[in-house]
Amino acid sequence: MTRRLVLSLVAIVLLAGGTFTANLVAGNHPALGLDLQGGASVTMTPVGEVDPAALTVAVDIIRQRVDSLGVAEPEIIRQGNTIVVNLPGVKDQQQALDTIGRTGAVEMRPVLKVAQNPENTTTTTVVGGPTTTVKGATTTSLKPASTTLPPPAGGVGSSRTAAVTTTTIPAATAPVDPITGLPQGQTVLPGRKDGLLYLLGPAEATGEVFSNDSSAQVDAGSWVVVAKLRSGAAGADVWNALSTKCFAGGADCPTKAVAIILDGEVISAPTVQTPTFDNGSVQISGSFSQTEAKDLARVLQFGAVPVKFDTPTVQTVSASLGEDSLRAALLSGLIGVLLVLLFLLFYYRLLAIVVVGGLGVSGLLLWSVISWLSKTNGLALTLSGAAGIIVSIGVTVDSYVVFFEKLKDDVQQGRTLRNSAARGFERAWRTILAADTVSLIGAVVLWWLTVGSVRGFAFFLGLSTMADMIVSYFFTRPAVLLLAKTKLFNRGRVLGVAKAKTSEAVA
Amino acid sequence: MAGGMSRLFRGETTVNFYGRRNLGFIASGLLLIVTVGSLFTQGLNLGIDFKGGVAFEVPVAGTMSEAKAKEILVANKIKTDNVKIQTLTSGTTKRVRIQLGDLPTATRTTIQEALAKSAKATVNDVSVSTVSSTWGRNITTKAIKALLIFFLIVSLFIAWRFEWRMALSAIIAMVHDVGISVGVYSVFKLEVTPATVVAFLTILGFSLYDTIVVFDKVQDNNERFSGSKVSYGDIVNVSMNQVLMRSLNTSIAAVLPVLSLLVLGSGVFGAIALREFALALLVGLATGAYSSIYIASPLLGILKERSDQYRSMRGHLSLGVDMAHLMHTGTPVGRRASARAATEASQGGIPAPVAVETLLSHPPRPRKKSRR
Repeated sequence: MTRRLVLSLVAIVLLAGGTFTANLVAGNHPALGLDLQGGASVTMTPVGEVDPAALTVAVDIIRQRVDSLGVAEPEIIRQGNTIVVNLPGVKDQQQALDTIGRTGAVEMRPVLKVAQNPENTTTTTVVGGPTTTVKGATTTSLKPASTTLPPPAGGVGSSRTAAVTTTTIPAATAPVDPITGLPQGQTVLPGRKDGLLYLLGPAEATGEVFSNDSSAQVDAGSWVVVAKLRSGAAGADVWNALSTKCFAGGADCPTKAVAIILDGEVISAPTVQTPTFDNGSVQISGSFSQTEAKDLARVLQFGAVPVKFDTPTVQTVSASLGEDSLRAALLSGLIGVLLVLLFLLFYYRLLAIVVVGGLGVSGLLLWSVISWLSKTNGLALTLSGAAGIIVSIGVTVDSYVVFFEKLKDDVQQGRTLRNSAARGFERAWRTILAADTVSLIGAVVLWWLTVGSVRGFAFFLGLSTMADMIVSYFFTRPAVLLLAKTKLFNRGRVLGVAKAKTSEAVA
Repeated sequence: MAGGMSRLFRGETTVNFYGRRNLGFIASGLLLIVTVGSLFTQGLNLGIDFKGGVAFEVPVAGTMSEAKAKEILVANKIKTDNVKIQTLTSGTTKRVRIQLGDLPTATRTTIQEALAKSAKATVNDVSVSTVSSTWGRNITTKAIKALLIFFLIVSLFIAWRFEWRMALSAIIAMVHDVGISVGVYSVFKLEVTPATVVAFLTILGFSLYDTIVVFDKVQDNNERFSGSKVSYGDIVNVSMNQVLMRSLNTSIAAVLPVLSLLVLGSGVFGAIALREFALALLVGLATGAYSSIYIASPLLGILKERSDQYRSMRGHLSLGVDMAHLMHTGTPVGRRASARAATEASQGGIPAPVAVETLLSHPPRPRKKSRR
């Protein structure tokens, strides 16, 4: 028993210290939010007259895109007729542009041929196929340069060779020289991640055939993307014309696949499984990972917004609050925590050293997680975030208080400390677990369903609650149980409570 | 008083929380009425993040700087606490962006001219545009939806882990806390920022957490007393007194850092941005601690006393020594005592107030048949 307690204690301390050192060595440190260190400000100006309602939708979608990058609490504002996106800490302006700067013209073209991209020899990953799990793009070794190209599609279904066909062919595909000799409307585009080149027919639909609520869902255990068609001539008709053609597999769509293109990259090329989609909903499936499915869903959502933006401009933006605010928050917060420790020391005497240790361990753990996520997920601490963490320390002290109060009860009733420690923890743990579960439920629900700063709050709430549970079980429990066995803690009034005389206790 | 403190310390208080429940209800009721009234008459003072406002952009030239921009605002009698002033850099050109709440057209023009003059530029070089809220209606809708779902799931969890009456009481207490905190903001016209919302959510979490801890104790005692005939009011009272020290300690531990942020952070070190956040938290923590004792638990008692199991003993309360006896032994004071309480109750008299101070300066004596 003692061995296991010591083991748990050593393990958690090593874990906290280890992750802390690892992050320190790797040079990770918590990133600061917009208010504290500034960042990049991207201004997007829409082209031509824009419906204000459409702009609002665009703001929402951009927000989603930015939010999906992490928990950095970006700011998205409509300033006049433009959309301003402020991202914390992005030093590299090009990165900010890449993140949100894509203009998002989504179009759909029939796939004529697929080939390995000679410039990109990475192994093929499967491209999603629709409706049932069908691999969209098989790696047939046809080169787009081959002269056995099918004749250009006649006027069939090219009802919507809209203005968007101005997509330029990226320079990367240039080595395939004969492309220039391709029939009108045809083009060769690279896949985004699959290392393939696609020979595509004319664009026959834009992303606007879908309404903007495409979503990634789980169907029969795998990730699929569900997109809803707008009804009538604006959506379903156009899409069904394309799908009917591709399902037939004629000369103008021999592969039966439809490529979904965003900014000159084929995001996915699903094979069409039914000629028409009468219920207004299209399901794209394949061996998607969650990220791939969500990415595709977002591309479809974005394509559905009928707002086109000029090339965005990027500026760096300075902090609105500055270093001294953060220093004030940290300093006063630390003083506050120190006061809490003093109070506990006064109240629980020697046992308070467990609190000091526990807070140290959870502090190291939190620091490590935040640093690591700052690096990998673009998490950034705002002033209120930092203050919130400090406040949460005060709240997590409660789990010690609950435990120590139970101990005190037992000692007062005449039990030895050694006896009451295990019993007391068992009862306290039930309480802590119930209360922390409620906090966790809150954190998960808010994280899932909200955006912006509420999401940031939920994240830190979840984080500190988890740290509380882990530290309670793996640090506080063994620490108190072990200390309760020492002579020091069984001498007199360690808890500040005298052992009650038996007669009184039974009274 | 020293005696009282040490009894508190040893968990031997016998405060009749349940019997005085109406005090809490009346106080909270009044505060909530004030809240609702204030919300209707003056509403909430929403910040630029919610309402949007005006943004000026001035090229950095002449004497223009962030500090200068602030001076100009102050000269025009505009409160700069929540104004965002930032420098935008793109290549070699720098601009100062000033975002603030809505302004009358006249003031807007005055400021625009002042800014232009300071930057040695023409008025047309200073751009003025309206800015939307960063916190769109969409975010609010999402947050409210998420909160409702959270309430639902938490109620189900509490109902499963404890019972539905506790779920109901906890949720009511939580709504009460947010209500009062919002009321403070409305009455004193404090500006609501996203940080305030985060503070309110923190309060919700704390209030709920606190209530759960108290209910866990009630549940404990419920099992402990299940063998003997004890009214639910007694169970609530005993539990309250047992967790009183815990509640106090936890509240002190939670309030100390917040007070430090408020007094030291925003006062001494001058980080004004912290002030309202800390204030919201302080108010919320106080109401959170108060409501788990004065709202959630009495509500639970009222609900429970109507249930079949406890109806027969409704209104019986062991006070003073009797409560201490109950707390220590887990059995109520003999039948005679309860009968006496019953007759007193039926005669319309309040049970004689026991001089708790004098009776409980030492732990309760063993029960003696011959007593009285």
